[in-house]
Amino acid sequence: MVDIANEIQQQVRERKPLTPAAMLKNRWFLYGVSLMFFFVVWDSSARMFASGLPRPHEVVLQLWRMLFDPLAGKSLLGHVWASTQRILIGFTIATLVAVPLGLMMALNRYVNAIVKPLFDLLKPMPPLAWISIAILWFGIGETSKVFIIIIGTFVPCLLDAYNGVRLVEPELYDVVRMLGGNRRDEIVQVCFPAAFPAIFAGLQIALSIAWSCVLAAELVSARSGLGFIIILGMNLSRPAMIVGGMVVIALVSWGMSQLVSVLERFVCPWKREIDSP
Amino acid sequence: MDGGKTRKAKIEVRNLTKRFGDLLVLDQISFDVGEGEFLSIVGPTGCGKTTFLNTLSKLIPSTAGDIFIDGEVADPKKHHLSFVFQEPTCLPWRTVRENVAYGMEVKRVPKAEMEKKLNQIMSLVGLADCADLYPNQISASMLQRIAVARAFAVNPDLLLMDEPYGQLDVKLRYYLEDELVRLWEQLKSTVIFVTHNIEEAVYVSERILILSNKPAKVKAEVKVDLPRPRSLIDPRLVEIRKEVTELIRWW
Repeated sequence: MVDIANEIQQQVRERKPLTPAAMLKNRWFLYGVSLMFFFVVWDSSARMFASGLPRPHEVVLQLWRMLFDPLAGKSLLGHVWASTQRILIGFTIATLVAVPLGLMMALNRYVNAIVKPLFDLLKPMPPLAWISIAILWFGIGETSKVFIIIIGTFVPCLLDAYNGVRLVEPELYDVVRMLGGNRRDEIVQVCFPAAFPAIFAGLQIALSIAWSCVLAAELVSARSGLGFIIILGMNLSRPAMIVGGMVVIALVSWGMSQLVSVLERFVCPWKREIDSP
Repeated sequence: MDGGKTRKAKIEVRNLTKRFGDLLVLDQISFDVGEGEFLSIVGPTGCGKTTFLNTLSKLIPSTAGDIFIDGEVADPKKHHLSFVFQEPTCLPWRTVRENVAYGMEVKRVPKAEMEKKLNQIMSLVGLADCADLYPNQISASMLQRIAVARAFAVNPDLLLMDEPYGQLDVKLRYYLEDELVRLWEQLKSTVIFVTHNIEEAVYVSERILILSNKPAKVKAEVKVDLPRPRSLIDPRLVEIRKEVTELIRWW
């Protein structure tokens, strides 16, 4: 009796013998097949249409060279850092303003009534539409790029913080009220923790938007950054440089989103995923 | 185990009435609950049991009448009320142990006393083994046990339970009912237990109030004067069960 009342979810891992049939169904094996297929198609297409598309190993070689030979005074890592720095500054400013504002909108209807119309008005405007006016206002330096990133990342940060609080299950408030808790208990014990996963989802979206924004800004005018490498490759007719820039953006962007995931697991340890078989 | 009459009345409900617009749901309900008594309330489906509990607990205001605890009008800020809802409600970001402690935290119970109480309750409800797990790692029945443990932990003046085991299978329900009785015997709380399951009501409680169809009134009162541990096949228990079933019939 005690056993059935105390069942808990436990992970069980079985070791299976490695047979050819099992191997064909293995997840990692299939990942490998998929990637292999991609690179073979890429390489053969590159050999057929020789000029426009670089072969995979040419891209790797190009990246290797850029690691040591500076372009416009910066090595590859220097350019990576230039873009990353812009994103970190813009993303941090946007997060620090938008997340608290979103929480306050959800918790206080007066704040909501004042901010929401302005926000709804500006929300549908694509952030990239701001590039030209930003350059007129702030020049072609760092400020205009950071400004675009702030504009782009503000929306998902605010929306997800807002919805995170709005979508808290009402029963959880009843628990607090029933036990005689006050409004402060409700906010600290229920609203904030319940909103964390949504906030992190917003940060993830904001991060990928930030990369689009910084890239667009750098394509328009920059002397450094990964967008600069891409536009330089275009001007010099060196496709390997362009594709190399694209690959590095994907890698860095993926790395940053992994960092946010790690942070989320640290802040919300209770949101553990349960492996499905 | 005597009924409510001979004990000091802890809870007095007087003319409790609730209407939603023209719809009268609770019609002048009055009764007493003795200190440390286990009172069950049964009634036909849809007779307003949940409204009744929500009004009693002050989650929604009553239209007329009131509930008194130790002679004072009940107030969640002053009195210790506890509620176990139909659906298990745990805070997903707290471990099992932290969830059980939650009520005491809100009530600002001193740390040392809280730890002591926590250890006692956790072992009483058999949650000690999974103290550090999060709610999404345990089964629904265990979630409900957390809610029950949390409700008992605050030493409530009044503990209200709204069909807490309605959704569990029979075997688990028997087990948890025994556990509930054990908790109540050890901690001596005053309990109002709402259920539509007559057998459950007879098995756990000392006295049963039967509500009529909507608008709900107290239709009858049945004392369950049986020694514990009780058995579901005890002829006297079966007798009482039949009596209550007759009283509740609405068809």
